[in-house]
Amino acid sequence: MKTISLQPLTRVEGHGRVEMTVQAGRLAAVRLVITESPRLFEGLLIGRSWQEVPALVSRICAICSGVHRVAAASALESALGLDIPPVARRVRELLLLGGHIESHALHLFCLTLPDLAGTESILELLRSGDGRAREGLALKALGNHIQELAGGRVIHPVNVEVGGVVRLPVREKLEALLAELEEWSGRLPPLVEVFADRRGYPPATAALGTRIAVDCDDFLLTGRSLGFSDGRVIAGERYREVLEERPVPWSNTKHSRTAGAPLLAGALARLENAAGRASAPVLPELSAAGIHGNNLAQGLELLWALREVRHLVRELLAGDVDAAVMAAVRPGAGVGTCVIEAPRGLLIHHYALDDQGRVAAADILTPTAINQAAIEAQLLADLQGVTDETTLTDRAGRIVRAYDPCISCSVHVLKGR
Amino acid sequence: MKKLRLAYVRFTSCCGCQLTLLNCEEQLAAIDEVAEVVYFDMASSRPDDGGPLDAVLVEGSISRPEELVELLRLRRRAEILVAVGACALTGGVNVLAGGDRIALCEGVYGECAREKLTFPQQPLCRFVRVDLQIAGCPPERSEHLRLLGALARGGLPALSEYAVCMECRQRENLCLLLEAQQPCLGPVTRAGCNALCPSFGAICEGCRGPVTEANRSEESRLLLGLGLSERQVRARMERFSGVTHEDH
Repeated sequence: MKTISLQPLTRVEGHGRVEMTVQAGRLAAVRLVITESPRLFEGLLIGRSWQEVPALVSRICAICSGVHRVAAASALESALGLDIPPVARRVRELLLLGGHIESHALHLFCLTLPDLAGTESILELLRSGDGRAREGLALKALGNHIQELAGGRVIHPVNVEVGGVVRLPVREKLEALLAELEEWSGRLPPLVEVFADRRGYPPATAALGTRIAVDCDDFLLTGRSLGFSDGRVIAGERYREVLEERPVPWSNTKHSRTAGAPLLAGALARLENAAGRASAPVLPELSAAGIHGNNLAQGLELLWALREVRHLVRELLAGDVDAAVMAAVRPGAGVGTCVIEAPRGLLIHHYALDDQGRVAAADILTPTAINQAAIEAQLLADLQGVTDETTLTDRAGRIVRAYDPCISCSVHVLKGR
Repeated sequence: MKKLRLAYVRFTSCCGCQLTLLNCEEQLAAIDEVAEVVYFDMASSRPDDGGPLDAVLVEGSISRPEELVELLRLRRRAEILVAVGACALTGGVNVLAGGDRIALCEGVYGECAREKLTFPQQPLCRFVRVDLQIAGCPPERSEHLRLLGALARGGLPALSEYAVCMECRQRENLCLLLEAQQPCLGPVTRAGCNALCPSFGAICEGCRGPVTEANRSEESRLLLGLGLSERQVRARMERFSGVTHEDH
C-alpha cells in the first residue's frame, strides 16, 4: 500500500490536499483533505443584532462575499416577515450577476485556462501574448465593475442591508455600462468556445452525484425551493430534512449527502436541472467530458448572465430615480431561510432571531461542503487505471479544480442544528 | 532592474487580499515584469523553490501550529515581510468569536474535534517582526500596486497617518455622520481607501482599523446621540479593532 499526495492544491481558492491510496497497483481510496482552519462564524454571530449579520458573514469568503451578503439579508428579511422594495431586489440581482461573471471569469481564465494551455499560471500566458488570457481578464474586470456599481465595492460590498439596499447605482454609470455590455455581446461567444472543446480535457467518467440547485419556474439564481435531479422538489426551509451532514476525521469540512448519495452543486447541476426551461442555457452533449463539462456550463452561464445584466440595467434606467430602496424594519423574533445560487453552487443561510432581533441560531451550508463527497467519489472513478504518479497528481488537481471549489467558504463552520 | 523575488502567502482568512491582487486585471502583466512570483498558490502551480525572498506578502491570521511554523520559515527567508489586511494585522472579524472554543469545535465536529488542533486567530506581529502593515478588509487594489511598485524600487510605500474623514472631505462628500445623521466611523478609521464607502453613499464600517490617536470618546458620544445603544456603539467600534494583547 502506498499513499500519493497532491499537496498543496493550487489554482483553487483555499488550502487542501488530495491523498490517494494505491493498493496492488490499483487506486483503492481517495481523500480530499481540507486543512484550512475553522473560523467559527457561529460563535461570532450568536447574540449579535440582525443589523450586524450581513457585514460579518460576507467575510466568510471574498469571491462569494456578495452572494453571502444577499443570502444573509434575505434570510433575515424572511425571519422578520419583510418585503423589500422591487427596485432593491433588482440592484441585488445586478450584484449577484456581477459576482457570477467575475467568479466564472476568474475560474475559467485565471485558474483553468493554464491547464488547457499547459502552463503554471496565467502570467506565462500574458507574457506570451495569449489573447484569450487578456480578454478573460477584461471580462473579469467587467464583472468587478458591475459589482462595484451595484455593491459599492468589489469585495465585501456595502450596499446590501436588511430591508433593501442603501442606494441606487449612479445613472450615468449605468448608461456607460450598457454601452460596454453591447460591445461584449459580440466579444464573449468566441471567448468561451475553448471550454467546449472536448480535446482540452483528460479522459473522464460521467459526473457523479445527485444534482441539486435552487428551483424556480425559469432559470434564476434565487428562488424558494430546492430541486434534485431525481425529481424531488422541496421548500427551501426544509433543507435539513434532505441534506445529511457528517464530520469526517480527515477534513475540516463536513460531508453532505442526500438519501445516502453524494450531491453535485454548481453550473453543471444548474443547467442539467433546468433543462428545457425558457431562459436556461442549453448544454450541448459534450461527449464524455464528465465533471470537466462544468467549465463549459460556466461559459454558457456567462453568456446568459451578460444578457440578464443588460435586461436589468435597462429596467433600472427606466425606473423611478426616487423610488424607495429600503423597507422599514421592525426587529423581533422569527426564523428565516434563504436558498440561493453562488457561482460555484447552492448556498443556504438560515437564522433564528430572539424577540429582540438577536441571533439565537445560525446555519450556513456552502457549495464546496455540499460537493465534497462527490469530489472524492469522482476522483476515485476517474483515476482508475492511472498508474503513473505524475499523471495521477496532475489529473487529480484538474478534477478538483473543475468543481471551482471555494475552501474558505467550506470551513467557515457553523453548527448544524 | 533585477526582478523582485516575491511570494504571496495566505493563512486563516477569506482570501480577499489575494483576490484583490488578482483584481488588478490590467496591471497583472506589468507586475509580472517587475516581480518573479515564486509562490502564489491561489493563482499559480509553480512549486515553491524554497530560496530566499526579497519580499513576502502575508494575508490572514495564525490559528494552527502548521501556520506558525510556516510563518517563522517565511520570516527567515524574506528580506521584507508585509502583513496585508485586517486578519494579518489584528486577527480580523474572527477574533470577535466569544465562547469556549473547544466546546464550539466539539459542537461542530463532534468526536472528530480533538484531531483538529487550532487556536484563536492571532495577528502576525505576535510571532514575527512585521516590516509593513497594509490595513483594510480588504485593502484596495491601489495599495497593492503602490506596495509592489515601492518594493520593486527597493523601498516601502508611505502610509496615510490620518482618518478616512480627511479623504472624504477632500472628495467633498456630504458628511454622513453630521449631515445625514448616520453612524459613520470615518473620523476614527485609518485612511488609505480614498473614502471608498462614504463616497458611494454608505457609512464607513471601520474596516481599516483605528487611526492613531482616534478620538473614540467623541465618536461614541456622536453615535449615542444618534440613538444607538451603548451595546450597538461598542459592537460597531469593535468590529475591526482586534483584541489588545498584553505583549503589544
